[in-house]
Amino acid sequence: MAAQVAATSQEDRLHELLDMEKMTLSSKGRAAVGTSERWMRYLGFPGGILVFLLLYHMPASAGLSGAAQAGAACFALALVWWVTEPFPTYVTSLVLMFLLLVTRTAGAKAIMDVLGMEVIWLNLLAFILSAMLVKTRLAKRMSLWLVLRFGHTANWALLAFLILQMALAPLIPATAARCVMTLPLMLVVAAIYGSTEERPNAFGKNLMLLNLAGISVLSSMTMTGSSANLIAVGLIQSMGGHRVYYMDWVRVGAPIAILAMVAMWILGQRALFRIPVEERLPHIAGGLGVVRQKYEAMGPLTLGEKKALGIFGVVLFLWMTDIFHLQWFGVEVTAPFAALIGAVIVLFPRWGVLQWAEADIPWHLLIFSAGAYAGGLALDDTGAAEWAVNALFGGFDLKELPFGVAYTIIMAVMMYSHLLTTSKTVRTMIMLPIIITMSRTLGWDPVSLALPAALCIDWVVGLPISGKPNVVLFSTNQYSVMENFKYGMVTCTIGLGLLVVSAATWFHWIGLTPSFWAVAQ
Amino acid sequence: MRTLSLIACFVLAPVAVAAGGDIRTYRVHVVAPAEGAAAVTVTATFDSVGERGVAVPVGFPGVTDLTIVDAPAGTVAVPGPVNGQTTVRVTFPAPSAEPTSVTFRFTVPTVFVDTKPAPGERATLPDGSRLLRHTFVNTEALAIGEYRAEFVFPAGSRAHAVRESAPRLRKGEVGPRVRLADLQDGPGARLQVTRLRQGDSASMTVELIPQSRTWAFFAAGALLSVLYLIYFKDLVGKTAA
Repeated sequence: MAAQVAATSQEDRLHELLDMEKMTLSSKGRAAVGTSERWMRYLGFPGGILVFLLLYHMPASAGLSGAAQAGAACFALALVWWVTEPFPTYVTSLVLMFLLLVTRTAGAKAIMDVLGMEVIWLNLLAFILSAMLVKTRLAKRMSLWLVLRFGHTANWALLAFLILQMALAPLIPATAARCVMTLPLMLVVAAIYGSTEERPNAFGKNLMLLNLAGISVLSSMTMTGSSANLIAVGLIQSMGGHRVYYMDWVRVGAPIAILAMVAMWILGQRALFRIPVEERLPHIAGGLGVVRQKYEAMGPLTLGEKKALGIFGVVLFLWMTDIFHLQWFGVEVTAPFAALIGAVIVLFPRWGVLQWAEADIPWHLLIFSAGAYAGGLALDDTGAAEWAVNALFGGFDLKELPFGVAYTIIMAVMMYSHLLTTSKTVRTMIMLPIIITMSRTLGWDPVSLALPAALCIDWVVGLPISGKPNVVLFSTNQYSVMENFKYGMVTCTIGLGLLVVSAATWFHWIGLTPSFWAVAQ
Repeated sequence: MRTLSLIACFVLAPVAVAAGGDIRTYRVHVVAPAEGAAAVTVTATFDSVGERGVAVPVGFPGVTDLTIVDAPAGTVAVPGPVNGQTTVRVTFPAPSAEPTSVTFRFTVPTVFVDTKPAPGERATLPDGSRLLRHTFVNTEALAIGEYRAEFVFPAGSRAHAVRESAPRLRKGEVGPRVRLADLQDGPGARLQVTRLRQGDSASMTVELIPQSRTWAFFAAGALLSVLYLIYFKDLVGKTAA
């Protein structure tokens, strides 16, 4: 009787986990977990103010304008608060916007206009499309099918998740949404293979960390994979004077991301967290049967799912063919407008699949992005970013170095710098203008360094605080901070190696980079 | 057509020799005091010089006290508006096919813009802020290869922001157009443009503020920090643990 109750309870839990519609992106601040985190939060507030005052009152440097110095001080305060979280991140963004105004770093219009920028619109529209996938249960069906198709052994179950993340990455730009959407499946499959919160095993570590890396790294396959990618594209265009099209990004980003993840799929289970033979088969009664039962209960494709498929097909088609739009339509339908037309169909009365109230739009994320973007732009506009470049690289004569050596140094800094920040947007806004300015100074085409650097933006896999999916997955207690760090560093190093090899070979062949050993004249 | 070209070559060649070559480099150095007249030094290097002398556009109104600092002996410089534009007419003692430089100095009443609001108008700048503005138009037929204007800020001032700069950076040009830098005689701003043909212009506006910062942020920050540490002490209290 007790066993039957336990089995029923376990099945109820699995059913509960599979109910994805209950998963929403909460705006509630994250609770401080340990003593050190609570102290960090407590001291973070005065710490941020102290950093601001130190930078603001720092003796004037000849090349640094007053506005640039004030902007750097405001941004440093926000950075300390984003990391220590005395406030939720979006409140810090609002404070940053106010500080930019009162320190006269930027004008009111420039700050407010950020909320109307392309990247913010795309974020907003992507969440509407994402809500459509969840509401019509197409995402759930896709996930269940992939697990059933490939998940009979540990090896193939891991691959199923890799493929699942690969399929979702171009469709859903928000990494947090992708993580939340697939987390229930991860927990179910981990439990099926004997890995629980109380007794995690090598399979559980591999599953969670492969998904963590997959969610982040595979976002670099497409320029719409994350909003930070789009910011990078915007910066490359506005500062570097080079337009990056959807397929330009895909042809350099996708092979590197996919190769790195396949390498991690193999390395993870064979070297980093070796899965013993007894853990390679499903552990609990029912196994994949529960997943199959859930999948079969969904029945055939509903009309809503078919509509969702069609709408996503249209949007994806427009995203992938932007290079031909001018020829076909006489006008280019940019990524946000492709998503916009998708949202129009999604929300269309009677024919659509969603009502406005059902779209789970996380405004707090948009406000956070807007604040971070306003701060980053202020750093650029006031010349603070350029001043930082000169301060950072003033002692090096990178001009004497061959392109490949400078490229490797810059990629390494870009790849591992994610350990210092919690926001891809912030990192993009700091690093990309610096890299574009530096490549100009060194005499290289900005895109030759900026586009490969932009591919590193999404590789935020080193620490549990490096990104939102990291925080969510760490909460499953399937792996430790050090295990996360080990897995993350191996992933980043493989990525760096692939980027360097690519620069020496086919990046050069397709004309993206100059010869690896070329020296600027 | 060919005949016409040949005639043009024969007729225009002596004119070109008489007028001299383009201005290879044009350097302006301005020491801007907080109050009163500013000292301007201009150094222009010509590809070659002709018999008839050249009109050098200066871009400053109210040129006075013009003196030649460095030039071939016998060179004469006369200020004056030519066709309504401020220029300095330089006449060299003899034509030369070699690059020739001339440095002259003059004073101008001010380089700052009067931003005091008229009665009833709203102020556009906070107290203590001033706008340093310079506009240079190449009004003459001679093209300028490289134009550079340096402004040394008054003692006790610093740049808050470069409010305007022109022309926009051309494709492949390394920016920014106006760079804040440590000049020989103090911190200042440098405006640099290449290839200024007749009618082209270069300009900049820099907002200057006092070097000392307001302590209002310090006071507000300290107060907020103390209040936070008192009212959020429960974050690290025993109850929270």
